Amino acid sequence: MLVVLGAFGIASVLVPALTPRLGTRVFLLAAVPAVAAVVHAALAAPAVFARGVSERVPWVPALGLTLDTRLDPLSWVLALLVGGVGALVLVYCRSYFRNDEPHLGAFAGSLTAFAGSMYGLVVADDVYLLFVFWELTTVFSYLLIGHYSSRRASRGSALQALLVTTFGGLTMLAGFVLLTTAAGTSRLSELATRAPEGAVGTVGAVLIVVGILSKSAVVPLHFWLPGAMAAPTPVSAYLHAAAMVKAGIYLAARFSPAFAETPGWRESLVLLGLVTMLVGGWRALRETDLKLVLAYGTVAQLGFLTAAIGFGTRDALLGGLALLVAHALFKSTLFLVVGIVDHDTGTRDLRKLSGLGRAAPALAVVAALAAASMAGLPPFAGFVGKETVLAAMVHAGESGDVLGWIALAGSTAGSALTAAYAARVYWGAFARKPGVPDVGVIRESPAFLLAPAVLAVLGLAGGIAAPGLDAVLAPVADVLPAEGEVEHLALWHGIGIPLLLSAVTIGLGLGAFLLREPIARVQARLALRRSASDAYRGTLSGIDRVAARTTKVVQRGSLPYYLAVILVVFVVAVVSALVRLAPPLPEARLWDQPMQPVAAVVMSVAAIAATVAAKRFQAVVLVGVTGFGMALLFADFGAPDLALTQALVELVTLVAFVLVLRRLPARLGTKHGSSFRLGRAALGIAVGAIMSVVALVALAARTATPIAVEFPRLAVDGGHGVNVVNVTLVDIRGWDTMGELSVIIAAATGVASLVFLSSRSDRMPEFARRSGLSLLRGRSGRPSADHDDRGSWLLAGRTLAPRNRSILLEVVVRLVFPALIVLSLYLLLAGHNAPGGGFAGGLVAGLALVARYLAAGRIELAAAAPVSAGALLGSGLLFATGAAVVPLFLGVDALTSTYLDLDLGWFGSVSLVTSTIFDVGVYLVVIGLVLDVLRSLGAEVDRQEEEGDEPSLAGRLEAEEQRRWTAGAGARR
Amino acid sequence: MSGVRHGDGSRRGAAHQLLLLGGLVLLWLLLWGSFTPIDVLAGITVALLATRVFELPPVQLTGRLHVGHLLLYLIRFAGEVVAGSVQVAALALDPRRTPRAAIVEVRLTTKSDLILTLVAVTLSLVPGSLVLEVDRQRSTLFLHALGVQDGEDVRRIRHHALDTEYRLLRAIGSRAELRKASR
Repeated sequence: MLVVLGAFGIASVLVPALTPRLGTRVFLLAAVPAVAAVVHAALAAPAVFARGVSERVPWVPALGLTLDTRLDPLSWVLALLVGGVGALVLVYCRSYFRNDEPHLGAFAGSLTAFAGSMYGLVVADDVYLLFVFWELTTVFSYLLIGHYSSRRASRGSALQALLVTTFGGLTMLAGFVLLTTAAGTSRLSELATRAPEGAVGTVGAVLIVVGILSKSAVVPLHFWLPGAMAAPTPVSAYLHAAAMVKAGIYLAARFSPAFAETPGWRESLVLLGLVTMLVGGWRALRETDLKLVLAYGTVAQLGFLTAAIGFGTRDALLGGLALLVAHALFKSTLFLVVGIVDHDTGTRDLRKLSGLGRAAPALAVVAALAAASMAGLPPFAGFVGKETVLAAMVHAGESGDVLGWIALAGSTAGSALTAAYAARVYWGAFARKPGVPDVGVIRESPAFLLAPAVLAVLGLAGGIAAPGLDAVLAPVADVLPAEGEVEHLALWHGIGIPLLLSAVTIGLGLGAFLLREPIARVQARLALRRSASDAYRGTLSGIDRVAARTTKVVQRGSLPYYLAVILVVFVVAVVSALVRLAPPLPEARLWDQPMQPVAAVVMSVAAIAATVAAKRFQAVVLVGVTGFGMALLFADFGAPDLALTQALVELVTLVAFVLVLRRLPARLGTKHGSSFRLGRAALGIAVGAIMSVVALVALAARTATPIAVEFPRLAVDGGHGVNVVNVTLVDIRGWDTMGELSVIIAAATGVASLVFLSSRSDRMPEFARRSGLSLLRGRSGRPSADHDDRGSWLLAGRTLAPRNRSILLEVVVRLVFPALIVLSLYLLLAGHNAPGGGFAGGLVAGLALVARYLAAGRIELAAAAPVSAGALLGSGLLFATGAAVVPLFLGVDALTSTYLDLDLGWFGSVSLVTSTIFDVGVYLVVIGLVLDVLRSLGAEVDRQEEEGDEPSLAGRLEAEEQRRWTAGAGARR
Repeated sequence: MSGVRHGDGSRRGAAHQLLLLGGLVLLWLLLWGSFTPIDVLAGITVALLATRVFELPPVQLTGRLHVGHLLLYLIRFAGEVVAGSVQVAALALDPRRTPRAAIVEVRLTTKSDLILTLVAVTLSLVPGSLVLEVDRQRSTLFLHALGVQDGEDVRRIRHHALDTEYRLLRAIGSRAELRKASR
């Protein structure tokens, strides 16, 4: 089974690829896996009927998910249907489509994949696997229904089908979760025999019923099916007659042993099924599009099937299964016939078709066979199924089950309607009608007719060979306990109520067909003002409105509002926790060293001053003071590493702030912070006070020996470094760092993609470097455009407008830049044993780049760093991942580090630790982050600002480069 | 015409670059606090890496260095920093008046960006004075000075700036500029 599934997967990938070469012949290739499914089922038949065939492959062992598949008699029957009808429909497609059909490859691929998903659905033996296939059929049916993607109706219908069936699928998933949790297994074969009892079982059953209703188009979730007729006809024949809509029926049959006794299961399925049968039949008599007549007919039949299979007795299940097989055969035949009619005459409107029966006699015969089976005429399979179901209902009614009589009445009325619209379909397509011109000459193609003919004949065979059908279906039905004499599928049961009722239904049906014109008038008068699909549309627009309103209220775009919400939640949550727990406070000393109160006072003053600052830069600098105060505290505590990093981070943050703030008005306007000042102050004070309390409580809360006690020893023994902080980052807690790196990369990329409107100018560095160097060398060669004859200190100094230049900065940066780079490399390499590390080193290198940018602008920045930020981020992650993964290949845990000490005597000594490679990754990522922020918030913003102005030298250079690049691209082409 | 001079210039340029490289190696060794041959090798590698990967125009030194004058200059600078700190503190703490400030334009004699920058940096680092703006073409500094009362103070500040330049030229200035400044 898994092999067959794999074949479906491969075929659905291959088919689109081969479509340009093979044209419509590709459908024959697509049919191969479906045929394989049939052959496999046929070969496995003895084993299936003896004990069932199971395959099991672990999928996600950690979650206990397995690829469990199982062929038991029920799955076997459906697998045959899915594979057989699928193969025939695919063969039919070859004639239905033409080579120039748009999106043919995608269509063929989707149809193949759909067949595979459907096959997977019926063989899955794990409810979650079943759910996955269930949703896959939904997704592929969405693609198939929306095949004519240029038509609005097609897209709308596809979306409607998707939403309705997904809604049902998710509801069903909830039911599965409930059941599997209660039962302790997710195996379908176990769940289906002994479902949990009590409330959990009932709720689970009801949730699964919703899934069944949505998939099998049962009232009130039936309206998507007629809409889905926007699909190409082969899709309707397969999805909406034989396959997808049967998924719900399959599930009902599968769970009927478990839920037959569960309150609500039987009643809801039977009653809703009957209502569906009547509604669908009634509508089928009204429609004039043959395909819609069939669609409503399908709704009606699905209702009947749901009622029969949900009825919960062994005989009803047997009849329902026979009906299921019969329906798959006759309904897909009829759809395919309508497809041929449409193909040959160009219309499906039964008011415009006349005389087709004479023009296409073979087609008419095929259709007649199918319609007779649908109407329930002997000796067709439809008759056998209906007969058995009616008999089972009579039997139930006689033994005192009221539902039996209700079901009998409903089924009889519904069957009469079925007979009526069966006659109507045949008449509508093939009869001669007065006043309508006959269709022209039609050349019937045997290849085209093959699939419907085979299906129709099978429908007849199923009726004649009813005992054979019985041999196959009885084992399926035997999962339900039988009382007394069991029913058998047969053409002749003797004269009894069922036969009588059959005759009555056929008579009533013919009567209704003959009286079609008066009935049509009645229907026109009774036409419903509101239908289920109106309700659907109303629900959708209601959800849209609620979503819009919620968004308007919650996402109002006010930063103070967002902050206030977050902080208020924080205050309320923490205070309530504190009050409830009333944790003990520790003994507190005010300070350990005199430096601490000094730093605290400075920080507090700066923090308070920041809240009343009138200018943005002022506020930012004041906030920066608190950060540096923190660095001071760290240093005072003997944490030079933290202090260093904190100070560097503070600097980089300041730069980023300045880059952003320079585009905003300098003064904080009256709009900012003018309202609710007292409230804001109170909230701020509350948050601060609570944080202090939390810090104290957290100190007192620790009772166990902290893990940190071990870190110094671990750092030296395991990480071979005495800088505990750094070894923690790159070795002991290396995975954490890994996660943080990913976050940094995501943030950097996010910032860049917000600012770079069109593309990240990744070829910027190379060109800037070249032009910078050529400016430099061109100094002696050609007279400079500037009046400056003193030479350059930086690469791109003269690309700035003279009034923006600062020779001071240029000279200082020229002298300091290499030293900063050396310092950053030192920090990177020394970090393992001394304050520093990749993070601090990267920040220093980043600050060196900041200096270049500040001194000589964006072209200088581009020229300074010879690579793109993205490449730095990526290679950094590569280094880090490499350090994590490579040890795995050497047979040790990920991120394991090792070291090498070389003592070369007087020459010196070398100590290499492999975790430094991880640190190099951190180093590169941090540089990449700074570069990204600079290039987007700095350089790109500059560029966008300059666009309005007169072109500067930078702009001219860029334009020239752009021109050269385009010319080069043109030449390459 | 430029052939010989060009070659001469590039040889001098290479010497300057070597000097700078040596500075970077020294920085490396000082950072590590260890002076074994392997550290020197590593230092040279790192210095080459830093200057090659991040290529920059060659630094234009003046070509002259007088160690004694440089030391004198640095000692004087340190003294000025201390004195300036005291003065600014006194001005800030004086409750009687708010200190007055002035912007003084000083035209230096040098044509070297390096000297110009170092003078500006020196003056900025001494508390009480700050370089606001530099006119590179005319070698002119615009100084913001605290505690200026009258024209006498302005003359004093201008003289001090020129004096600083002269002392720096004696330490590292080219011969030609030193001669010009001495006049």
